[in-house]
Amino acid sequence: MTPRDSIPVTPSRRRPSSSMKGRPRTATSQQTDSKLSVWNGLFPEDVCEDDQDQVIEETNHFPDPVPRRRGAKSFSSLRHPVDGLRTLGRRLSVTIRHKSSRQPFQPLQSLQDPSPIEPTGHKNGAASGSRHTRSKSNYLDGRLFHRRPSANSVPPLQNFYTPTAPVPAPIPGNGLEPPILPDDICAGAAARAAAAAQNELARAERVTSHTSESKLTRDTESGIGIDLRDRSEISDADYDAVRMDPASCLPPEIMAHILSYLDPNSLMQSESVSRAWNEQASSRHVWRIVFRRAYGYHRSERMTSKTKQSNGLGKALPNQNWKGMFLVRRALEQRWRDGKAAAIYLHGHKDSVYCAQFDEHKIITGSRDRTIRVWDAHYPWECRKIIGPPPGDVPGIGPVNNSSQHASGKSPFITICPPSTKSAEIVTPIDLATDYHSASILCLQFDEELMVTGSSDYTCIMWDIKNDYKPIRRLWGHGAGVLDVCFDDRHIVSCSKDSSICVWDRNTGTLLKKLLGHSGPVNAVQLRGDLVVSASGDGVAKLWNIASGLCVKDFPSKDRGLACVEFSDDARTILTGGNDQVIYQFDANTGEMVNELKGHAGLVRSLHLDNANKRIVSGSYDTSVKVFDAESGELSIDLPGWTTSWMLSVKSDYRRIVATSQDSRTVIMDFGWALDGVDMLEE
Amino acid sequence: MSSNGAATTKITLTSSDGTDLSVDREVAERSVLIKNMLEDLGESGEAIPIPNVNAAVLSKVVEWCEHHRNDPPSNHDDDDSRRKATDIDEWDQKFMQVDQEMLFEIILAANYLDIKALLDVGCKTVANMIKGKSPEEIRKTFNIQNDFTPEEEDQIRRENEWAEE
Repeated sequence: MTPRDSIPVTPSRRRPSSSMKGRPRTATSQQTDSKLSVWNGLFPEDVCEDDQDQVIEETNHFPDPVPRRRGAKSFSSLRHPVDGLRTLGRRLSVTIRHKSSRQPFQPLQSLQDPSPIEPTGHKNGAASGSRHTRSKSNYLDGRLFHRRPSANSVPPLQNFYTPTAPVPAPIPGNGLEPPILPDDICAGAAARAAAAAQNELARAERVTSHTSESKLTRDTESGIGIDLRDRSEISDADYDAVRMDPASCLPPEIMAHILSYLDPNSLMQSESVSRAWNEQASSRHVWRIVFRRAYGYHRSERMTSKTKQSNGLGKALPNQNWKGMFLVRRALEQRWRDGKAAAIYLHGHKDSVYCAQFDEHKIITGSRDRTIRVWDAHYPWECRKIIGPPPGDVPGIGPVNNSSQHASGKSPFITICPPSTKSAEIVTPIDLATDYHSASILCLQFDEELMVTGSSDYTCIMWDIKNDYKPIRRLWGHGAGVLDVCFDDRHIVSCSKDSSICVWDRNTGTLLKKLLGHSGPVNAVQLRGDLVVSASGDGVAKLWNIASGLCVKDFPSKDRGLACVEFSDDARTILTGGNDQVIYQFDANTGEMVNELKGHAGLVRSLHLDNANKRIVSGSYDTSVKVFDAESGELSIDLPGWTTSWMLSVKSDYRRIVATSQDSRTVIMDFGWALDGVDMLEE
Repeated sequence: MSSNGAATTKITLTSSDGTDLSVDREVAERSVLIKNMLEDLGESGEAIPIPNVNAAVLSKVVEWCEHHRNDPPSNHDDDDSRRKATDIDEWDQKFMQVDQEMLFEIILAANYLDIKALLDVGCKTVANMIKGKSPEEIRKTFNIQNDFTPEEEDQIRRENEWAEE
């Protein structure tokens, strides 16, 4: 198959393979069909026959959006008693730990005071007074011996701190020794070492302070932190003298500032420290900052050239439950790791669905049947609009996926087939046939105001999203089908089978430039600022500068034609896919190939890079959708056979993948399906 | 920021315990509080009282300001981006290797004197002492009493667990 042939852009004839792969009615699928029960006009279908690690869903999940899982339920009834036991065990072990860590020191240190840790009373002045009364030998014994058990609990820090361990600590107050400071450690280590030192010495102090404390008789409130010595005179032994609760000695706004630097897990740990910490750490304000940072919220990135996909960071409501959203995100990440998603099939197009894009509210698809469909992104996923010639209704839905392939990867844990809406109710009445594409819709992109589609009729059409998808104007300029289109605030860039790339003014529709250089059909384009990257059936991806109109760099594939291309938001990484069945990752600056992502067994037809969640999603003629870790390039989820034919377009956001297939269906792979609270994440 | 000519002007700060510190005006002006005060006072040459900060802490703060005198003026970004990472530059890390009491006093002084960058560094230092620790380890680090009842502790843990396994 030559690269040109491999991309289905010819509207005139149907590919032989499509009729072969179209809708095979195998014995198993017939069975599945017969099992369909009509409930509320929907066709829920249970297709996870033999996957033992899948949660089997009841078929009537619709009345109750939260599916009941029998297993989970019985487990949850056990949870509380178990928790209670665990708590008890933990409390016991804490008590034991105190005992066991203290008692062995007694013979060594002649520690006569086995009393438990002093309450906070001594922490301020008492401690600063106590360090002067400590005897040297006592102090050293305590420190050196005590370091060992406590070092175990901070293993990564031990390296930084142990060099100071054999050095005899100076007697505080004499000021003869310089402080033991780590001089030669790498950046970033010093603070951790300091924190480790604090921890270590804090523990050591538990022993030593008892002895010194008992000898104290003078007023311990006198010396509040006035330390007139030069810093060089302060030995690190002094760290152990003062341990103070920041929640009680710093005002709440500063404590909130401190806590807002934590990661979500550390913040959650902080909630369990004490009541005062709990109050501070559960603040919505702190959680807002921590949650947004953890999931890549950047105000500046709000307006990238790329059409915005939801990041699942919720709405900025004053009473938003940010911590709850973190818990939902954590559960959602686990679903992605497990590859556990529901399949929702959008049925209505009469032929291959070449392109799709979605946001929280709608999914827009374009098809070989010459129509554009706008679907509701929520239950019950109705088709709200058909733009194009009246298509007539599609008969029965046939098999929705290819379960024979599921053995090798993840199958849907639940399958949902909403009924198709009667097309007469939603089709836009035709004013003029010239207002619509007269051939396949091959590509589309939309933002909040504008949608641009490209078609085999050689043109692009700009549509006014805010005004009920009224056509604005048609862009003439290509001499063959428009294979891909993208746009930002200034430019619309389209590429064509005629091997050219056109750059248009978004506001006026004027053709600004033609980028020439490819020697084959240009199958895909992406735009970031002044940079355009294109992928061609000639086997080369090119980086262009719009301002100059020149090609800046070439990124060759190893073998044959390229079908798709992705450009990271920071314009530093380029991904290409095609006939070689691998995904190439290039450094846009150096032109170097950085990685090859392997796994597909057919042409890689579509790529989507989710920068925020570090996922690369690919759709292939091997009928699978795969998810790769964008940092390591490792294959993380394999989703084979979710439709019955080639995957033509894939897009993803924080909770779902929307993939379109040659079998005329669009499938939503929803990882957030029936996840409690997932609606909170909608933006 | 002020030019080299202005850098030579000295001003005097008086700490809460009555100690005078002579500081380059440019250095002192890293504190927004002092900067505003100087603008109000003009060139009177009088000592500026800093009633909430003692001499030990004030000299630490001045030491920090001296080292950071040539830093570009902090771009007044929104709060969220200020709180991005807990990376601290190496000099600041060493500067912050003090006991907890001094650390907290520096944070309080930075807050009072309105020196955002120093406040950030101080808060990041404390955050680094909390990060990755269990509640019990945090309690030990800061000598905090666990005042939860077992039931309360249990409830918090349950809230933080996610039901779906």
